[in-house]
Amino acid sequence: MSRMRSLLVLLLISACSQQPVIRDEMRRYEGAMPADLGGSWERNYTRDDDVNAVLRVAYNKLVRTSPDQRNPRAPGVVMPSPQEMSSLLALARLAELITRPDVLTISQNEHEISIERKDDFAMLCAFYGGVAKATQNDYGTEICGWDGEQLVSNLLLPDGLQVTHRFTVSQNGQQLRVVTTVSSSTSRVPFTLRRFYSKFERMPSEFNCIETFSMKRVCSTGELVL
Amino acid sequence: MLVAQTVFLLMGMLPQLAVAGPFPAETKPILAEDAHDVAALNVSIAVFDPGVPADPRSHREQQVFPRIREIEAMFLPFVLRETLAGTKAWGAVRVVPQHDVAAELLLTGEIIQSDGEVLELKIRAVDANGRVWLDRAFAATVDNQELFFEIAAALQAARAQLSKKELTDIVEISLLRYANQLAPSAFGDYLHEAADGTFTIIRLPARNDPMLGRIDRLRRIEYVITDAVDAKFQELHEEIASTYNLWREYRRQVIEYQVEDVRRAQDTQSSAPRGSYEAMKNRYDNYKWNRITAQEQETLAVAFNNEIGPKVVAMEARVAELQGWVDQKYAEWHRLLEELFEVETGLR
Repeated sequence: MSRMRSLLVLLLISACSQQPVIRDEMRRYEGAMPADLGGSWERNYTRDDDVNAVLRVAYNKLVRTSPDQRNPRAPGVVMPSPQEMSSLLALARLAELITRPDVLTISQNEHEISIERKDDFAMLCAFYGGVAKATQNDYGTEICGWDGEQLVSNLLLPDGLQVTHRFTVSQNGQQLRVVTTVSSSTSRVPFTLRRFYSKFERMPSEFNCIETFSMKRVCSTGELVL
Repeated sequence: MLVAQTVFLLMGMLPQLAVAGPFPAETKPILAEDAHDVAALNVSIAVFDPGVPADPRSHREQQVFPRIREIEAMFLPFVLRETLAGTKAWGAVRVVPQHDVAAELLLTGEIIQSDGEVLELKIRAVDANGRVWLDRAFAATVDNQELFFEIAAALQAARAQLSKKELTDIVEISLLRYANQLAPSAFGDYLHEAADGTFTIIRLPARNDPMLGRIDRLRRIEYVITDAVDAKFQELHEEIASTYNLWREYRRQVIEYQVEDVRRAQDTQSSAPRGSYEAMKNRYDNYKWNRITAQEQETLAVAFNNEIGPKVVAMEARVAELQGWVDQKYAEWHRLLEELFEVETGLR
């Protein structure tokens, strides 16, 4: 009976994992973008998920969904394989690494949303004519969509590795929740971490600065003339 | 300032030109053999087509920076001009903002690819006769100057195929087409245009035709303005050449980095077991570094435009001013010449 239940759970997980994160209807919207994420956001560590706690929950889930692999020392308890444990731990470490930035700078215009993060690439959500356009290179594909007022960014990498971020802005526009899920074909259980950010205003600079090609950054207290 | 003074002086000369009547004896009528060595045709190089794909969504993928392409479209014709002038095989070689259909030899071009490693241009050369000398792509991978030398050689080879009579016809047809644009009543029936766009001379005006003399004077005035426009392209070239060369060098390096990225990704692909943290981080980092390189390139494209943009805008404004002056005067000359022709032929 327990074997049947495990198989059913596995089949369900497998069916779910074949669903694309960004469904077709999420790639389109009409009129203005459903939410405004623009601005500077700083990390609110007090609300963040604790990585170890999340890892424990994920481990328990892995145990519950493990194939019927009896532990000779504790009959009846289903243990995940060392490879599965290793994969889950790897997902957790990668999720922790990816969600490390303490400041997000989000620029949003009619067609694009760019999410700048320290020590990482800027996530790009490009929508032209209200339809999401994938950003692609030889190593992966990044695509976004709108799930209601949530912006969802999905990065597809080789070996079935996926990184998904869900951005939700609070009603007053001052808080941002980012739910990051890292999954892989090598692990039956994905790893999800929540990070919270508060909006802040950057201090206006006393200098007018401009990036130039040959002189790098050029600043002036008055009008800039190149 | 010099250009402004020249324009002012020429504006003062205009009424005198228009009512001058028969030319003084020392002013020779313009027939090809008197004008210049027919082999050394005057060449007009139009500002290139930047070749920017219409769909803005493809710019990022194709690594096309539209504003920089527009700058290149003004910059590269000048490199071609310098190369042709350097051969001393041609008459005046000028960069012009618009297609000059009456040019003795008109060169037009489109930028197919320009990414620091490869420069590919599609060049079309058509003479006043409507004969196509060249219509093909030229590409260079290391030294761009080689591409321009190749175009120069192809043009000389095309010219070598023509007889002296054919070259003479080009000069004469060029003048007659110009005259026809300004005074169609007087010069409308000297040329026949075939269905394929080529022209043949039906008859020539008299050597001492006063109307042709006036046309020649006006064309020379227009050349002075064209030279002023050309000088603006030269100034732009001098101002941005070093920054542009830095940009191309940077783009070339980016391509090298991308090749290295591919090599590194291949080398590290199998070193960590699948499902391990190292393998996952490797997959993520491969994507990340490629995107960071692309984003850095976009940032530097903006920086390039910040630096060069104001110079280009100023030059465009000055060229537009000069071109506006030519267009305005052109309409005035057209009206005056038509009136003079009516008076002289007694049609009124």
